[in-house]
Amino acid sequence: MPESTQDKILAYLRSKLPQAQDLTLTQFTQTAGGWSHEIYTFSAHWQESGQKVTRALCLRKDPGVGLLRDLSDLKEQYRVLQALEPTPVPTPKVYWYQEDPTILGGPFFVMEKVEGEVPNPWSKVGKQYYAEAAKRGKLPRSFVEALAALHTLDWRAVGLDFLGVPDPGTDFALREVRKWESLVQQSLRKPEPVLTEVLMWLKANAPKTQRLAFVHGAYRTGNLIVKDDAIAAVIDWELQVIGDPLYDVAYVLSDLNREGSPLLSCVVEREVFLDYYQRLTGLTVDLEACRYYEILYMMRSTAFWLSASGLFAEGKNKDLRLARTTYSVPVVLDMAAKALGF
Amino acid sequence: MLAAHRLLGEIIASLRNVIAPAIPDPYPKAQAYMAAVILEFISQQVEERHDVVREKERTLHALFSDLSAVLGGTGLPESSTVDQEARLCRLIEWLYAEKERFEPEVFAIANRRIREALRQLLDQELKVAGKET
Repeated sequence: MPESTQDKILAYLRSKLPQAQDLTLTQFTQTAGGWSHEIYTFSAHWQESGQKVTRALCLRKDPGVGLLRDLSDLKEQYRVLQALEPTPVPTPKVYWYQEDPTILGGPFFVMEKVEGEVPNPWSKVGKQYYAEAAKRGKLPRSFVEALAALHTLDWRAVGLDFLGVPDPGTDFALREVRKWESLVQQSLRKPEPVLTEVLMWLKANAPKTQRLAFVHGAYRTGNLIVKDDAIAAVIDWELQVIGDPLYDVAYVLSDLNREGSPLLSCVVEREVFLDYYQRLTGLTVDLEACRYYEILYMMRSTAFWLSASGLFAEGKNKDLRLARTTYSVPVVLDMAAKALGF
Repeated sequence: MLAAHRLLGEIIASLRNVIAPAIPDPYPKAQAYMAAVILEFISQQVEERHDVVREKERTLHALFSDLSAVLGGTGLPESSTVDQEARLCRLIEWLYAEKERFEPEVFAIANRRIREALRQLLDQELKVAGKET
């Protein structure tokens, strides 16, 4: 009988914890949420020096054919989380990174499973959860504080400059445009003239970066673990860059992340967000630059959906959710076209 | 947007090779296999929407004709492709790359005309995506 994923992970943990006696795993689950990685959560139990030890863990594995194709780098995510551990940014502690694909079929890393919940902001239940938390007031403040902690981080001091540091001026915006254009080029199966116009506009109108910061790249509810009405951890470290902090601000301000909710990211009022964020960071939010980045996000979403539906059409990934995204391409291009006035 | 036949082909393969084999219960398993069989029949019946294709062709033909007039003596770039949407992509890139060659109002008129056509193309795609504007 072939060895199960759970058995393989147990064998791996035994090799990493040679002092652990009677090591077992319980509550082993593969979560269904991720589009780029396989995610497993479980509790590990063992005896050590006569004491019972229990640790909640999470394993993130590269499936080889994820949404971001070759733009996703699991080792980079591990290094980022390692660098963030001693900082005020709430993140899960990472334990081991494994490059060897023979163990689980692809690189993976093991990290702490942070206690808390991640209500899905796209669901009715999730929207209601965030709306009620918003009324209590603590979670919206915590949402802004965690973002401010990211943007005021001394990223050079913690060694995050390995991510690549853009030149002053428009280099950051143009790098992002080129990055997502490369995903489009890997994925495109037929010409998309609306996308070409959006891309050319983005290249011709890139804003200058006023200040460089460590940027998450997808800061929103759904990528944050919540406990006791506070952000217990920022997760989904896949799109982070050194760049313009307004890139994250624009994502928070964007309609892309609230689907009809009057609250930004379904959790915070616009005025509260802008006022508190500017107070905590000392930054002035340039709404014109945010508008540019919002259109860049629409282009990025188009790239995601082209990549996802392309992977399905190429037979590289059988997940039917990916097939569905082919119908999202014109919808998000419509948003971009309207933002550009046509 | 992916072509309907390609999409159906992959969904059928997924039902047959991934989803159905993973279902332990005999009844839902048989249903998944049957869904694959029925979709295979449906794929014989499906054709891309001719109204959408025709409307796109009309839009592109009118656009290229208008742009020749707007850009006058500068001449549009030669096209090596018969795919008119690919030709439009090249034209958009060319117009931005050559922007400095034109009077600002000429670029603005050409860009406005292109965007008008892009809106018409997008509206056709949105008919299929079920989000008509």
